[in-house]
Amino acid sequence: MKNRECILEVKDLYLTFNTYAGKVHAARGVNFSLNKGETLAIVGESGSGKSVTARAIMGLLPKNANIDKGEIIYKGRDLIKLSDREMTDIRGSDIAMIFQDPMSSLDPVMKIGRQITEALRIKQKVPAAEAKKKALRLMEAVGIDNVERRYNQYPFQFSGGMRQRIVIATALACDPEILICDEPTTALDVTVQAKILELIKEIQKERNLSVIFITHDLGVVANMEDRVAVMYAGKIIEYGTVDEIFKDPRHPYTMALLSAMPDLETDSSTELYAIPGAPPNLLHPPKGDAFAPRNRFAMRIDLEEEPPMFKVSDTHYAATWLLHEEAPTIDFDTFKQKTLEKRRKFKEKEKNNEESQKPILEVRNLKQYFTSGFGRRKLVVKAVDDISFDIYKGEIFGLVGESGCGKTTTGRSIIGLYEPTEGEIYFNGELISRGQKHKGSRKFTREISMIFQDPIASLNPRMTVKEIIGEGLKISKLYHEDEIMERVYKMLEIVGLSKEHANRYPHEFSGGQRQRIGIARALIVNPKLVIADEPISALDVSIQAQVLNLLNELKNEFDLTLLFIAHDLSVVKYFSDRIGVMYNGKLVEIADADELYRNPLHPYTKSLLSAIPIPNPDYERTRKHIHYDPSIHDYSEEEPKMVEVKQGHFVYGSASEIKEYTKSLEIYS
Amino acid sequence: MKTKSENKFEFIHLDAEVLRDEKFEGEAIGFFKDAMLRFRKNRASVAAFIIILIIVVMSIFGPMINEYDYKQQNIQLALMPARIPVIEKLGIFDGVKTINVRKESIEEKYKDSLVKIVEEYKVRDVDMATIKIDMYKYKGVKDKYFWFGTDSLGRDQWTRLWRGSRISLIIAVLSMSVNIVVGVIYGAISGYYGGVVDLIMQRIIEVIGGIPLMVIVILFVLYYGPGIIPIAIALCLTGWIGMSRMIRAQFYKYKGMEYVLASRTLGATDRVLIFRHILPNAVGIIITMSALAIPSAIFSESFLAYIGLGLQAPEPSIGVLLSEGQQVLLEHPHLTIFPAFLISILMISFNLLGNGLRDAFDPTLRGQE
Repeated sequence: MKNRECILEVKDLYLTFNTYAGKVHAARGVNFSLNKGETLAIVGESGSGKSVTARAIMGLLPKNANIDKGEIIYKGRDLIKLSDREMTDIRGSDIAMIFQDPMSSLDPVMKIGRQITEALRIKQKVPAAEAKKKALRLMEAVGIDNVERRYNQYPFQFSGGMRQRIVIATALACDPEILICDEPTTALDVTVQAKILELIKEIQKERNLSVIFITHDLGVVANMEDRVAVMYAGKIIEYGTVDEIFKDPRHPYTMALLSAMPDLETDSSTELYAIPGAPPNLLHPPKGDAFAPRNRFAMRIDLEEEPPMFKVSDTHYAATWLLHEEAPTIDFDTFKQKTLEKRRKFKEKEKNNEESQKPILEVRNLKQYFTSGFGRRKLVVKAVDDISFDIYKGEIFGLVGESGCGKTTTGRSIIGLYEPTEGEIYFNGELISRGQKHKGSRKFTREISMIFQDPIASLNPRMTVKEIIGEGLKISKLYHEDEIMERVYKMLEIVGLSKEHANRYPHEFSGGQRQRIGIARALIVNPKLVIADEPISALDVSIQAQVLNLLNELKNEFDLTLLFIAHDLSVVKYFSDRIGVMYNGKLVEIADADELYRNPLHPYTKSLLSAIPIPNPDYERTRKHIHYDPSIHDYSEEEPKMVEVKQGHFVYGSASEIKEYTKSLEIYS
Repeated sequence: MKTKSENKFEFIHLDAEVLRDEKFEGEAIGFFKDAMLRFRKNRASVAAFIIILIIVVMSIFGPMINEYDYKQQNIQLALMPARIPVIEKLGIFDGVKTINVRKESIEEKYKDSLVKIVEEYKVRDVDMATIKIDMYKYKGVKDKYFWFGTDSLGRDQWTRLWRGSRISLIIAVLSMSVNIVVGVIYGAISGYYGGVVDLIMQRIIEVIGGIPLMVIVILFVLYYGPGIIPIAIALCLTGWIGMSRMIRAQFYKYKGMEYVLASRTLGATDRVLIFRHILPNAVGIIITMSALAIPSAIFSESFLAYIGLGLQAPEPSIGVLLSEGQQVLLEHPHLTIFPAFLISILMISFNLLGNGLRDAFDPTLRGQE
């Protein structure tokens, strides 16, 4: 690796942003180098400075950013000192960038062919016919079929994954040497993500590109080859090869991150390791090691002096005083052991309890259609199409599926935000789904409550925290003002906030704290069933574990039943007792979490399981992604239905498919 | 030395409990306080706000400051140029006017009041001269000061200007308030209920908006006569449409927000949702829109006056003054300059104020004070 030629070098990059509040120190001395033909992954939470660093390389910083010091050397030239004109020549032709959201990185009113060839024609003055030829080749290379026809289509005619492929083709049009991918798969579904990652890897090998891959997802990183740099609070705190980072991390932050993420193997009866607190505010960068206040193994020196980069091996460096010769050694195993001691065990679930045999919620043939337009232009979207399932008392039922599969709609129909088109929903044996919106609904609305996804959008910015949390009680009109306050304070305590937070407004809180406020609001009405709609997907990894642990704890304390909706199968697998897999408005498989993981039957479930990125490089290297093609089902002759193939394991299919599923189940066992 | 370094590498958090959340410092900052903090940082808007305040105060007290009345006529002292104490010593606003006269009449008529002969020339063998004369001396009223001069009927322009701006502001605020009330109610209903209700209400708006504004306004004023109220209402006929569209968009945006859904799941009624959750969040937009609607109302009023549909004499408004002034623009520029200057300042200030308010209420900038 050493003899490879170094193509890009970032030296001591220090970046600040001028804001109303003052100077935000976004990057505080970032050093790294990129060799020709290698992939460097930069991981970090939001606000760690990873995107800012990438933008600095591209010269795409916003106006309020200043580069205080540092150099970015590319081919002997310092990119920071180049004029805007010179930078324009480098952008695209030498260094290209792929952005996170494929929806907004393509011009909606421009044919995609023109978007791909635009740079070629303007910059390299390639004649139109030749540019088209090249564009067609590129489109083929990124896996788009029917290129001639596709060439003249507009972005809205492509799906999200396809658009990201087009974006990649656009970035590659001028044959850049370096490709910067800024969270290229974050906005995509897992199954699509797997394909895009494969594509980037393929292209990188074929063209001998250097790739800087920026992501917050450790699972994705393990999939990428070569080297990894971990960023925290504007600094690279550890870097090394993939194997070194994942198998032998040295910085406590890296270790903590790796332990905080549930994967499919995580023991679901133990609490997750949660990193306490939140990342530091970079308005006032902390003295010493920025991670120290959240570090279980922080030493006195961490608070006083900033740790230098210690060498672990030729390729592996980490900035932590733990590597100092006088410091006690903490390696990954001791870290895991030490942190495990502290974690609580959850009670083993008593399966044969009589109460748990009774379903608290029964959904029968639920259909939720949305229509728009009138007459001939009427459009019907079947968001939820004939699903049935039961949720038993005291369990956590996970609902997974990709975006647009109807899982959120299901949750909202149950709580009564939508009136179902067809089908019934029973809660505790009583019909709650129809015609009761105004009469008896009070009672049910107090017994079912909901936790929302977006910690920013789910709290009214004009209300104080106590008003937000107390709202449910106020609406119910059952409590006196003082009583409400008392319960609000108690609830705040339970979710780990204190009384003094009550008079604050939501914008003063961090994402994790806001989500806890949302949980408090849902639980204060003493619900029996809580619908958690992607409660952690907008949070950073280190905060996710905090929220999951809190939910688990509260579930036991309040004797709750949870419907947990998420797109991340590894989290659902860790968190739920039973899982329902949704695809295209239909439930395709329901089973116990372990059973589903061990014996997935439906091809979509298999594909979903195979697509999950796992923070284990060995696994990632051998992983085979199973592609799901819905056209394999032939339902023209036989009606498909949900069949119980094994106790508690339901799968959706036609009679002949079910036969096959049952057979494969026997082989498994 | 050894002990010290050992000390340094000692674990400190090892047995500490889970880290508590950071304590907040300072007071809780509410919505308006937050907006105020941000508004104060915007110097141009603060300056604009102060200027508007001054203009408002002047339009209340301005007419009382000197001894003249807005309708007291004095043909003798018609069309006097502006003369302001102190500033007159600088050579501007000193009551001096440039006129063209026969050369011989200088000696006869303007002997006393002559300030300077600018140039002499001949027209058809008659000797002419351009001279500057002190009008106040000429009329024998050296003791009087008409700060902004007088109009063709000898009425004091200062008094009329401030009275006019008072009336223009009243018309603007009146029509703006009606616009807000109608626009908010209409937009809120249309946006909140959506669907068929929205469809019908928006078609109605399109029909109303399709009629040319000036035609209805002119007909309306012709029918009801040009008073303050008819003009204000005339400006509301279509003025509320913009506001209602804005509010409708806000309602569309906020009714799908998760906190509104959250409140619905807790069993909140429509009234609670509209008045507690949606409207308070749209307040910033409403305030901004009103600040921006005032200058356009002032402008429309002036336009009406300009085309002769203004208030009835002797009542002035900025538009009335302007339309009177433009008829004698070249001979007596002071009649146009002062109202034009005032209306420009008003428009710019209200627009700057509106922009400042928009930034101050911008939710994406929250918490960055």
